[in-house]
Amino acid sequence: MEPSITTTRSRQLRRTSLALALVFACSLSATVLAKETEAEKAAKEQAAQEKLLQVFVSEPYLELSTGPGRGYPVFRVVERDASVDVLYRRTDWFKVRDEHGIEGWARARDMRRTKLADGSPFVFNLGDRDGFTSHDWEIGIGGGDYGGAHMINAYGAYSLTDNMKIEVTISQYLGNASNGYKAEAGLTHVIVPEWRISPFLELGTGVVWVKPNATIVLPEDRTDQTAYVGAGVRYYLTRRFFVRADYRWHTIFTSRDDNEELEEWKVLIACFF
Amino acid sequence: MESPNRLLLLAATLFAALTLTGCQTIKGWFGKDDAEQQQTESQAAAEEEAEEADTTPPRVIEPNVARRKIKTPKIDNENWELGAGFGFVSIEDFGTNPTYAGQITYHVTEDFFFRGDLGQSTAGRTSFETLNGDVELLTGDERRFTYYSLSLGYNFLPGEVFLGRDTAMNSGFYVMGGIGSVKFAGDTRLTLNFGAGFRVLPTDWLAIHLGVQDRVFNTDLLGEKKVTNNIEMLLSTTVFF
Repeated sequence: MEPSITTTRSRQLRRTSLALALVFACSLSATVLAKETEAEKAAKEQAAQEKLLQVFVSEPYLELSTGPGRGYPVFRVVERDASVDVLYRRTDWFKVRDEHGIEGWARARDMRRTKLADGSPFVFNLGDRDGFTSHDWEIGIGGGDYGGAHMINAYGAYSLTDNMKIEVTISQYLGNASNGYKAEAGLTHVIVPEWRISPFLELGTGVVWVKPNATIVLPEDRTDQTAYVGAGVRYYLTRRFFVRADYRWHTIFTSRDDNEELEEWKVLIACFF
Repeated sequence: MESPNRLLLLAATLFAALTLTGCQTIKGWFGKDDAEQQQTESQAAAEEEAEEADTTPPRVIEPNVARRKIKTPKIDNENWELGAGFGFVSIEDFGTNPTYAGQITYHVTEDFFFRGDLGQSTAGRTSFETLNGDVELLTGDERRFTYYSLSLGYNFLPGEVFLGRDTAMNSGFYVMGGIGSVKFAGDTRLTLNFGAGFRVLPTDWLAIHLGVQDRVFNTDLLGEKKVTNNIEMLLSTTVFF
């Protein structure tokens, strides 16, 4: 078989186009590579400046999503032994930046399987039952009854130990005779923090602002000091949530001859972190 | 004659060489043997020692290199969201009026959040007041409608919104409910609130909310005791930190 003229011509053309394509591809890849290295450099410099935590993928890959939620699409995977810089955390998702400077969201469950530079596992609180036993902060909202008045509460607590917490409660109460606010600070002792249903004792002091309702004769706003002792129970629901219910017995140090005594009941939904 | 003399001389020389002291070659030979013997003996002894040493713990070489301590940087938690907004609140019997509100949210999980709202509006005139000209039911101070609420919210429909071909922003629809109070017409009332909102995040730290909430409370302000629904619509901007 002799090659025809057309075949030869087309071959020549193919060769030239191939050569052209090769040159183009080389230049393109060179520019892409150059860009990537620039991006990498920028990412590294930024990471060094921000002092971010670097973790290494030890599973076959780490998926990055476009958003911090289970439905958001996975747009990138980071392969094994590659590193990511941890930018910040939002609920159960970590915003990370890979070696090419691309940022995405990795779920906490997957991040738990990454390693630090010294090979030790990346450990952080996951917001589970163990977290209920041992955590730093808790906040909660709820309502109850304060000496016959409706009460709205918000509280925050900081754990000194697993058993002992410093607690601040701000309440508003709305009664028939008077309305008012109170702010209290105290110590809470959780007897067995490991238990799912966990009783606690509390002791504290605060200030109560009383605003008698306008219908009562000689209304006068007043501020009194108050102290309380109480007991309650906390029940772990799921994830980071728990419910707490407590009873407090208040003594209000009034400017009159007798101190006032009041009972308080409340239920709050709270979370820990 | 020469050859027997030569032989004799040779024999004498050989003898002398063998017997005379100071001959390096011979000495070397004997000395070499001795050294070899000594060496083998010392090797055997060393092996024995080594065998003995196996039973005792081996000497650990302490590397003169400082162990690299990895200090784990603290990871920033961005679960708080703080912002403010502007909108309208329809105060039952007192018309629809502009309102300003602030809000703080703590995102507990991907799905649930706690939110606190604080807002203020000024009530308008009732239709009774408008029709009767100079009748004023409330003083200026009493017309102030101040409210707050503490709510639990649920991110109901997370998703994305698209602006044109190239921009996708995370979004979410949420429902919420809670308790709070309202100070209005010289009285403070307990409120129950419930509502829903839509949130768009142009970046990961900035959110724009459009929400509607109903604040329900009992009042006897206009003579009869009744439940009032006060619907608030709010456009707000928040920042995650």
